Amino acid sequence: MGKFSGFGITLKQVFKKPVTTRYPKEKRPKPERFHGRHVLNRYEDGMEKCIGCELCAGVCPARCIYVRGADNPPDAPVSPGERYGFVYEINYLRCIHCDLCVEACPTEAITETKLFEFSFAHRADAIYTKNELLVDDEGHAKRQPWELWLGGEDDETSAWMRATSPSGAAAYEGRIVWSSELGVGYRQPEQGQRRKKAD
Amino acid sequence: MTDVNDVPKVERPPGVPMSQWPSAYEYVLPTGAPGTVTLTIDGREVKAQTGDLLIKVAQDHGTYIPRFCYHERMKPVGMCRMCLVEVEGMRGMQISCATVVADGMVVHTQSDAARQAQDGVLELLLINHPLDCPVCDRGGECPLQDTTLAFGPGESRFVEEKRHWEKPIPISELVLLDRERCIQCGRCTRFADEIAGDALIAFGSRGAHTEVITFPGDPFTSYFSGNTVQICPVGALTATPYRFRARPWDLSAVETSCTTCSVHCRGALESSSNRLVRLLGVDSEPVNHGWLCDKGRFGYEVVHSEDRVRHPMVRKNGELVECSWPEALDVAAEGLKRALELNGPKSVALLGGARGTNEDAYVWARFAKGVVGTDNVDAQLGDGIPAEVALGLPEATIADLDRAAAIVVVGLDLKEEVPVLYLRVKRAAEELGVPLIELAPRDQGLTRYASTSIRSLPGEQGETARRLADALGGARGTDAGADAAAALLEGRAGDIVVVLGRGDLAESAASTVRAATELARLPQARFIVALRRGNVRGAMDLGLAPGFLPGRVTLDAGREWFGHAWGSVPATVGLDAEGILRAAEQGRIHALMLLGTDPHDDCPDHALAEGALNAAGFTIAIDAFVTDSTKRADVFLPVTMWGEKAGSVTNLEGRVQRVGQKVSPDGTAMPDWRIAAELALRLGVDFDLEQPEEVQDEIARVAPAYTGIDSTLLRRARDGAVAPVADHRDELVLGPVSIPLTDARWEPIRPGLDAVELEDAKTANDEADALRADRLTSVAQSAGAPPAPALHRFTGGVTDTAPPARDAYALRLVTGRTLYDGGITVAASDSLSELVADPVLLISPQDRDRIGVEDGAEVRVTSARGSLTLAVRADAAIGTGTAYLPFNLPGSGVSDLVDLSTAVTDLRVESLS
Repeated sequence: MGKFSGFGITLKQVFKKPVTTRYPKEKRPKPERFHGRHVLNRYEDGMEKCIGCELCAGVCPARCIYVRGADNPPDAPVSPGERYGFVYEINYLRCIHCDLCVEACPTEAITETKLFEFSFAHRADAIYTKNELLVDDEGHAKRQPWELWLGGEDDETSAWMRATSPSGAAAYEGRIVWSSELGVGYRQPEQGQRRKKAD
Repeated sequence: MTDVNDVPKVERPPGVPMSQWPSAYEYVLPTGAPGTVTLTIDGREVKAQTGDLLIKVAQDHGTYIPRFCYHERMKPVGMCRMCLVEVEGMRGMQISCATVVADGMVVHTQSDAARQAQDGVLELLLINHPLDCPVCDRGGECPLQDTTLAFGPGESRFVEEKRHWEKPIPISELVLLDRERCIQCGRCTRFADEIAGDALIAFGSRGAHTEVITFPGDPFTSYFSGNTVQICPVGALTATPYRFRARPWDLSAVETSCTTCSVHCRGALESSSNRLVRLLGVDSEPVNHGWLCDKGRFGYEVVHSEDRVRHPMVRKNGELVECSWPEALDVAAEGLKRALELNGPKSVALLGGARGTNEDAYVWARFAKGVVGTDNVDAQLGDGIPAEVALGLPEATIADLDRAAAIVVVGLDLKEEVPVLYLRVKRAAEELGVPLIELAPRDQGLTRYASTSIRSLPGEQGETARRLADALGGARGTDAGADAAAALLEGRAGDIVVVLGRGDLAESAASTVRAATELARLPQARFIVALRRGNVRGAMDLGLAPGFLPGRVTLDAGREWFGHAWGSVPATVGLDAEGILRAAEQGRIHALMLLGTDPHDDCPDHALAEGALNAAGFTIAIDAFVTDSTKRADVFLPVTMWGEKAGSVTNLEGRVQRVGQKVSPDGTAMPDWRIAAELALRLGVDFDLEQPEEVQDEIARVAPAYTGIDSTLLRRARDGAVAPVADHRDELVLGPVSIPLTDARWEPIRPGLDAVELEDAKTANDEADALRADRLTSVAQSAGAPPAPALHRFTGGVTDTAPPARDAYALRLVTGRTLYDGGITVAASDSLSELVADPVLLISPQDRDRIGVEDGAEVRVTSARGSLTLAVRADAAIGTGTAYLPFNLPGSGVSDLVDLSTAVTDLRVESLS
């Protein structure tokens, strides 16, 4: 073999199909549990799921979430119950997309999408306010001017939930489910990381 | 071993009515002689005192028994059943909060049986407890959460629908009740009944439908209602000012003293995102026992008021306009210089200073007396007690109330003016059985706990006090009321603690001074001078009083000492507040400094204050708000408030404690003392002070009564230090190892959070001894310094003039302070300003019938000074011949009726219908 074996590898590669995708016109599929930017979800009746409990802010290791609760106005409640998220801000200069906020949320109000392509020219743009995070009436994330999406990328806004999370029902103990998605519907529960190849 | 059930029950003595006999649970408390018992808790042998409760003994020895209803400052009831433990030889489980330790007792708190019992109790408590934790204000610091995690079963077998109630219902303006969350521990109802004496909440219904109720039409309007929120072990009681403001994990705390009144309760001040969100009581044995009044607890809102002045202002073309600090300070200094050059130091006056810290008071006193050279300085407004009396009487501490032979309350309504001192006096009288003698013009908060109440008309207080002092001194027979009071002292040894204050601002101060003189004749009499304003004691102690220099020395006695320390002191004794206002009215005050004071609203004589403020020359306001007084200022210098500055304060017993800084101010406000130092610099004197600690050290060096109370001692002394420290050295306690606040918010919070962490108790004791020895010898004497001056002593000799005879148609005016008044603390707090009552003239039912008016009718009230129209109501608490009108309520206008130069104020009340 000797010195020419290296050329052999090159030759073999020349005739293979290239792995390059023509980003950003086309994108590779993202893993199912990809952590992108957050959305604040709503119920089917339009009420916000966030109750302003600040558990996400409390658990955040990057201290990038700022929440303040307030009394729900009795005649025009923003969310079910006594309290709603009055201020909700996430600083994406700090966020490390660890998803701990999603796990901490008792109402599945905050979830992460697969959207990750955004760059800012101003610091203020990097701090997403509640209005920017809240999903629209169709249940889709609101596109900000500095975000780059292709069609369909915003379909999947749901988080994956461990059955031990506060909303986890006993029937799903030990399994992983997806939270419900407004406008997108339920996805089939994932069978967990130890699922058989045969599935 | 002694079976607890064998402890003899105490029979009710004949003649004692059932209502005065302690409730049932006290029967289990033994009355045996004190001694030491030895018992075993979880295999460890521990020693305890006879009569100690098992739960407390276990906790003191490191074994925490879960509990909800038990509170160290209240009597045990055994309602929640959480503290079940196994005691060998006793049948079933025992509740450790109501079990008294006995010799040879063997206790298991962690045995299988005990754990199973605790599991069961928790599962039962959680049956009806809603899963509100994410939205509940208690979530994150909730004893029920914590206890469930530590001792609970982990899962529930209860799958049925939980009990439902209407979600939070207001039981007062400040407290919301969520009955779904309540676990019926009875802490709040017991507090309201036992501690506060306002039994306005109670349990209603039975079984699963038990709920905390208020009586119809009678909300929980206790001055102490906020304490129930702090001690509630769940989120059933929440405070409206704190509702949804923050979660426990984004709070940070600093230990501080509340300066709303002069008691200076210890508290943990908490903030989130640079906003103060709540104040929690810290359990300070010598001061507040962990309690706060609602005005103190919720008064922090004033700090973030929209109306705060954030930047300095000067008057340009008749308007106050914002400017830079250098410009404002230059204008202020120029104005002072001009007055000094043209009219000399006697034309300059300083009013106020009671709202600041000791550092503020000291530096302003040094500026006024050492630099400007004027002694026209007064921290009071003609509504207090002259400094030569207040600073010179033999002193008692608050803790002395508990061991006094008797307590004599002269004049003031403690519940309205100094609420937590009221709790302490109430406890001493009711729980500890100290005879309470009350000398007041009307029935007030303490009257129902008084052993005897002596009524006197305004102006006759001095004479009444003389008869009481005679009787207490042994000369009986002149006055039946005084004799009855003296009879209470028979067989009781110890001091007579006199709580002295101004119960009636329409009566001249001479009457109170006369009463003090008379009672001070008794060799065993010691005084607590209860002036209400926040740090008025510290301000007077540190020289903001005419004729006094810092450290309770008179101008004459301290002339040489302070001449050496400061360079110069005023030549003659200056004017007090009344004198300053009169001089200003006559145009003799050419520069007036208003140091956080509002004579327009706060001086009992409105016409005098108004005339003085209008006629005063150049006016400098050092304040946080534009008030009716400070709106006339030529220069406005904004100051930082409580919570925004660190320092020390002195309470009414002379205890010096620290206040902490928790937030930084919006805008460019500066601490008062820095403003004084900046002005001094512009008048050519450099104080060379940069930190509050440096001011504390200077005070400890030069103010004789504060010798040794320097920044080191203040940082270490857990409960502060009572000045002069040489007389109270044994009371110094150095800080224990600080504990994190999060574990303690519902239990009595231990003091010493900021105290230096000490390695172990031995080091602490050694250091304490060293510090104590050090304090006594550390009068820092520089070479060539004169001998330290002696502290001022009040020797009496002030007499009051006999009041003019009251004609048969007149009513004599009594005007006292109420807790929620027209002051800025209440007016600028959103929650408290709702609580201010409408002013009503109260007269006795006899006088009402004589005048011929209905309750609620409008009457015209006329004094020699002025006249106003008010609603009238009859009240049996008011004595015949007197009329009561609260002072400084918005719209009461009582200061329009009062003339400071007269001994009493007589009113004509005419029906308008």
